[in-house]
Amino acid sequence: MKLHVDTVTTSYLQNISFRVENENVVILGSNGAGKTTLSKIIVGLEENTNVYYEGEKISSLGAKRRCEIVNFVPSKLEVFDDYLDVEEFLQLSLLNGSTLCEMDTILKQLEIEHLKSSPCKCISSGESQLVLFASGLLHNAELTIFDEPTANLDSDKKIKVYEALKKYAGWKIVITHDLNIAYKLGYRIIYLEHGKLIFDGSSDAFFTTANLERLFGSSIKRLEDYFLVNYR
Amino acid sequence: MKILIFLISLIVLCIAPFVGETPLEIGKILDASAMEHLLFWDLRVPRVLVAFFSGAILALGGMVFQGVFRNSLTTPFTLGVSSGATLATAVGIVFLPSSLMVFSYFFSFIGAFSTILLLFLFARTLSATQTNSLLLIGIALSFFYSAALMVVYYLSDLEQSYSIVRFTMGSLNIVGFKSLYPVIAAALLLLAVVSSYKKELRAILTSHENAFLKGIEIKKINLILLLFVSLSVGVCVSVVGPIGFIGLVIPHIIRLVYKQSSEKLILSVFYYGGVFLVLCDLIGRNLGAVSEVPIGVVTSFIGGPFFIYIILRRKRNHG
Repeated sequence: MKLHVDTVTTSYLQNISFRVENENVVILGSNGAGKTTLSKIIVGLEENTNVYYEGEKISSLGAKRRCEIVNFVPSKLEVFDDYLDVEEFLQLSLLNGSTLCEMDTILKQLEIEHLKSSPCKCISSGESQLVLFASGLLHNAELTIFDEPTANLDSDKKIKVYEALKKYAGWKIVITHDLNIAYKLGYRIIYLEHGKLIFDGSSDAFFTTANLERLFGSSIKRLEDYFLVNYR
Repeated sequence: MKILIFLISLIVLCIAPFVGETPLEIGKILDASAMEHLLFWDLRVPRVLVAFFSGAILALGGMVFQGVFRNSLTTPFTLGVSSGATLATAVGIVFLPSSLMVFSYFFSFIGAFSTILLLFLFARTLSATQTNSLLLIGIALSFFYSAALMVVYYLSDLEQSYSIVRFTMGSLNIVGFKSLYPVIAAALLLLAVVSSYKKELRAILTSHENAFLKGIEIKKINLILLLFVSLSVGVCVSVVGPIGFIGLVIPHIIRLVYKQSSEKLILSVFYYGGVFLVLCDLIGRNLGAVSEVPIGVVTSFIGGPFFIYIILRRKRNHG
């Protein structure tokens, strides 16, 4: 897997460049830093000709090939039809060799098998996030970008998603603003702020006290292996 | 509920050709020399069939439009597609020698399709969340077409304007099977095309983003679906005139009754669209004391209040 983002500039992002080769990545950044915009550009949802996958421009790939290579799991479930249920939604993600049987396993693992016949419009935001996460695992593209996969979840479900994410064999980019998850995943970290790439390096280099202070000032407090918001 | 509706629909379809201004003696239908034979086979049966297949086209077309444009109020009628077809046909009636009017399908198709292209051009400049704006553009287009239709009236002579008026009221008065075949062909073609894109339609019914990520070529599929809807609506309008509200009423009722996602309801919407128009025609034929009530009037009397009901319900659901 070789991803090359070559000086991507939009009305918001400024000169973003990086290469990813056979590794998982966490994209960190505060609200509005441009994380989601960048991901949408990588998967081709927003047109940009400066993203390459194994030397090929993603924007010029055919629809079939593109969905084998990249996938993006948004943080919000959007469905137009009032009666389309969770199972029907997930069936659309039975791609790249996934089977109905695997769908059931994943649903069981995430403890949402009871939602199968509920309309997508009638489930809670946490449940819909789990459904989206399941769809990402089923889709099984070579590179999957998960956008805030744990944002609306209770702590119990957060752990479930974290474990499943760790176990998932495909290459992944995880977008989050949760430092704890980023730290636990231990992947290479790309940090964005106001559309600019501020930091790109290993997890260890990111989580040094000096670097955290440089990026967050005194708003983050480290307690052993945990990062807390330092409310004053 | 579903079974009850199905049984009622069967009864409607069975009695429709037998009930009318002139009562039929059932025994004489098969007697080729009797007046009843002619009345039944050349007038009543073609009329029921044309009603069925036109209703089916309009209902299925409405459902496809609602999915593609992602707005539950869009139909070929509300977006001005049928008005475009009407205007083009009226232009044909006034400006072309009547010998060329065998090509009236072609005219309504051009009218319908050019309207779709216009809408597509507008839709490209609007973002995905602005489907309401598209609806407003469709309404504006309809007004524009009505004004243009007035100009055509103004330029027409008495006979021509009479035929335009009759045409815009919609009429299922056809004689024989000849003008019926294009409608049946268009309806079955539409059904086949929409059914073959079931999976793609389901993806489009989630979100454009999701359909894109799952490898669906949205633009191509949308264009194919809209092309076939406008083709069949064009054919339908050229034969029976612009008959409104079916594309709005039927998909909504069927969804409410079946509570399934739209791509599973293709056949039901097609069938009940047909039944609904047959029923409206049955009412229209038997209500008027002097002559029949135009079919467009009947569907609009039923559809208009329903349209308002849907809008009020949306208001309640979405604040």
